[in-house]
Amino acid sequence: MRREHWRAALRNPVGATAAVLLFALAVLAVVAPMLWGDAAEETDPAALSQGSTGEHLLGTDALGRDILLRVLVATRYSLGLALLATAISVLVGVLLGVLPAVLGRRSGRMVVAAVNLAVAFPALLLALFFAVVFGVGARGAVLAIGAAGAPSFARLVQTTVSSVAGRDFVAAARVAGVGRFRLVTRHLLPNAGEPLVVNATVMAGSALLAFAGLSFLGLGVQPPAYDWGRLLGEGLDRIYLNPAAALAPGIAVVAAGLAFTLLGESIAQVVGLRAARLGQAPADGSPATEPAPEAPAAPAAAAGRQPDSDAVLAVEGLRVGFPGAGPDGWTYPVDGVDLSVRRGETVGIVGESGSGKSLTALSVARLAPEHAVVTADRLDVAGIPLGGVGGSTDDAELRRKLGTRLAMVFQDPMTSFNPSMRVGWQLAEVTRVHEGQGRRAALARAVDRLRTVRVPAAQRRAHQYPHEFSGGMRQRAMIAMGLMSEPELIIADEPTTALDVTVQRQVLRLLKDVQRETGAAVVLISHDIAVVAQLCQRIVVMYAGRVVEELPAGRLDQAAHPYTRALLGSVPDLTTDRDEPLTTIPGRPPDPSDRPAGCSFAPRCSFADDACRADPRLAVVAPGQRAACWHPRLGPGPEATSGELSTLPGGVKRA
Amino acid sequence: MRELGFHGVTVRFGTGRSALTAVDGVDLTVPAGSVVGLVGESGSGKSTLAKAAVGLVPTSGGEIRLDGAALRTRRDRRRLQMVFQDPYASLDPRMSIGASIAEAIPGRVGRADRAAEVSRLLELVDLDPARARSLPSGLSGGQRQRVALARALAARPDVVLADEITSALDVSVQGSVLNLVRDLRRQLGLTMLFISHNLAVVRYVSDVIAVMYLGRIVEAGPAEQVLTEPRHPYTRTLLDAAPRFDAGLDDPVPADSPLLDDEPPSPHDPPPGCRFHRRCPIGPLTTPERTICVEQDPQAGAADRPHRAACHFASEPIQSEVPAP
Repeated sequence: MRREHWRAALRNPVGATAAVLLFALAVLAVVAPMLWGDAAEETDPAALSQGSTGEHLLGTDALGRDILLRVLVATRYSLGLALLATAISVLVGVLLGVLPAVLGRRSGRMVVAAVNLAVAFPALLLALFFAVVFGVGARGAVLAIGAAGAPSFARLVQTTVSSVAGRDFVAAARVAGVGRFRLVTRHLLPNAGEPLVVNATVMAGSALLAFAGLSFLGLGVQPPAYDWGRLLGEGLDRIYLNPAAALAPGIAVVAAGLAFTLLGESIAQVVGLRAARLGQAPADGSPATEPAPEAPAAPAAAAGRQPDSDAVLAVEGLRVGFPGAGPDGWTYPVDGVDLSVRRGETVGIVGESGSGKSLTALSVARLAPEHAVVTADRLDVAGIPLGGVGGSTDDAELRRKLGTRLAMVFQDPMTSFNPSMRVGWQLAEVTRVHEGQGRRAALARAVDRLRTVRVPAAQRRAHQYPHEFSGGMRQRAMIAMGLMSEPELIIADEPTTALDVTVQRQVLRLLKDVQRETGAAVVLISHDIAVVAQLCQRIVVMYAGRVVEELPAGRLDQAAHPYTRALLGSVPDLTTDRDEPLTTIPGRPPDPSDRPAGCSFAPRCSFADDACRADPRLAVVAPGQRAACWHPRLGPGPEATSGELSTLPGGVKRA
Repeated sequence: MRELGFHGVTVRFGTGRSALTAVDGVDLTVPAGSVVGLVGESGSGKSTLAKAAVGLVPTSGGEIRLDGAALRTRRDRRRLQMVFQDPYASLDPRMSIGASIAEAIPGRVGRADRAAEVSRLLELVDLDPARARSLPSGLSGGQRQRVALARALAARPDVVLADEITSALDVSVQGSVLNLVRDLRRQLGLTMLFISHNLAVVRYVSDVIAVMYLGRIVEAGPAEQVLTEPRHPYTRTLLDAAPRFDAGLDDPVPADSPLLDDEPPSPHDPPPGCRFHRRCPIGPLTTPERTICVEQDPQAGAADRPHRAACHFASEPIQSEVPAP
């Protein structure tokens, strides 16, 4: 993975230019002094201060030395000094940067303050100051530039290190008794390293320029030694006589500086790419090719069920694909979901992370991520057929309709509100956009809806910002926002996961009241089967992108699918027998790009046999209950079966 | 394994108007060889208490003792080990799991002994020792949490503090981690402070349950007793709010009373008297004559009440009568 990123970076123009320039410079730095070192020192009294001639391509200097050769030979010295100065900056910078993490709080603050003070001075000014302090000459200049670059580097190290230092694994290492120095070398620096490498590279480029500047001013390299800066200074005196003498070292400085900067740029791209990949689900490859939106194998198991005319949500064969590592170049986190919700019904969707439950909801609300491709045989939401529309959300009329008939409630109400806008106005915006209502009327309605969801002192609170609301109140406001128009369907995606139990109960009760009062259907998505069972009439269990069981909440104790039973048995409640081990499910859910053929749960199921290699369809096992399983469990509840379900004895390895 | 004791532990953050007392004079004992479950809502200070014990946050009062001897130095604190909530954040992504565990092994140990110890620990938490060289990125959440447990055990702690170790895990994995905690306890006689917001989870692993509210322990006692006969109305509220299969949302509980405050009070400005009184189903908002709750802090004298409950009415059974909605 790493290597292929670097290769990709080499192929793009920036990376390629940097690589070619650096390679040329490296070769020159090694070879030029060996080949032409002596020739460049050779004075030719017959050709003093000449312009360009056949013998001396760029002319000669005041002592008759060949300028081209001198520029080439100076590569090693110029680069060497720049790299040395950078090394000093990096070393001092890293030391100063990690000091606050190593020292106690008070002395750490002193170091931070000192570094901040030093950063306030322009680097070149610092370099000049240090050059005078350390004395004129190459050594002085290296020290000066090194010291001048240190503060900004130290600042960078401080910020990156302190962001890493706040993470749990550093706390864990401290608790485990890891010493401060080991903490820095093993945990802090390696995890802060990437931005530092990028900056060190860019810094090498600017050190080179700074050197040229100092030498040009006569503060740097002293004769008889020479670097590009000094050559530039000498050439500039005669720029009207022989422009090449000044231009050549100038070009060399610019080219080398550019090489370092471009290198830093390419490293940053590779590193940034990797950092970005860590954050999101794996979805690489280009979405240029359209997926083959093959219809699911059969008109999914509609047998025995008529399309419901009273449905506010009718989904058949919903697939959500991302470009990925699947067999056809696509992965399907949602892979053929059928779902129907009748008017005024409350339906719960349960599943673990990665089961596709949230993506199903987002696709229904047309909020699926941009690079996802949503296909379905049928997708009717609140009477609006969205089935054939593909991925385009441009249809304003459609969006307006959807916006008024469908309400979404998300897990984290803090991120679903605009933090800089008063809550009341955010609510009002909904009707103003969708129904073109006036400001005053819209705000009045917002206050009214806040009252409906029992936000105390609604009038006053409408004028507050989201951060002034507690988590539970924000979630209420979110529900109120959904009620601004008259929704036929409310989809709540883990609405209580971020809340405390006492608040969770309030929000669930509120959802129930809202459902009762407005007659809207509610789809509640949760990982917690107990939460879902409390609110919903019907429960849909999802696993690996499909619905594996659908049953009335009252029949949970008669669950037919082994997965549903395992889910029920693995969560302790207040009546669980404390002497029995909890049910566990061995293994882990399959990767969406690499699902086993047939039943996805088979590899983790103790009832699986050869029959499970074929795709199970949802089939009726009892009135109102359907399960996609070849060996549905019938009869008594999950507790009774916990023994036969793969309850692992203590000694067994869980892979 | 030895007894861990918190004695009047106080943790304050910030100064001036933004000051916040996250933990306020907590007394709590974790007897040797037992698991004490600490429950409370977010912001109640339960995690801060654990962090104070291992020295991740400074205390501003009180003492943390191990078998009666106060913990002062970093070396002392290594007798306590903590397992963190999020196994995706608590393991260094650049370190093999074997190295992460080995790092916590105390003292100077030879290479071979170290490897043997890592294998032993991995086996102890039901992981294949051959995986010692893999990076955390190749492991599932449940497996990572096992590694984090193994790392804590590597330090040969007297007490393990487990801070919400199952709440970042999927339900099917949560069960296996809880089973592991119980197995380890049986095998090693682990002393443990098990922190969770989930009463059912705490009940499953704990001998003693302590309930925390706004920085204070409001009730503590044997697990079964606290759950069946809670003495503090807050414990009752928590129990009633826990989702269960045998009761719906429409079955009213005392805390559903519309007279009560819906919002938890701000820890920056805790209410006078009993901190719970504005949300209390048996407090002054439902029973106006109970003005004592507003005037007197029930923390005083809690030690003499059943379950050390910080409630003036702890000795009366909590009424189950439900006010009309």
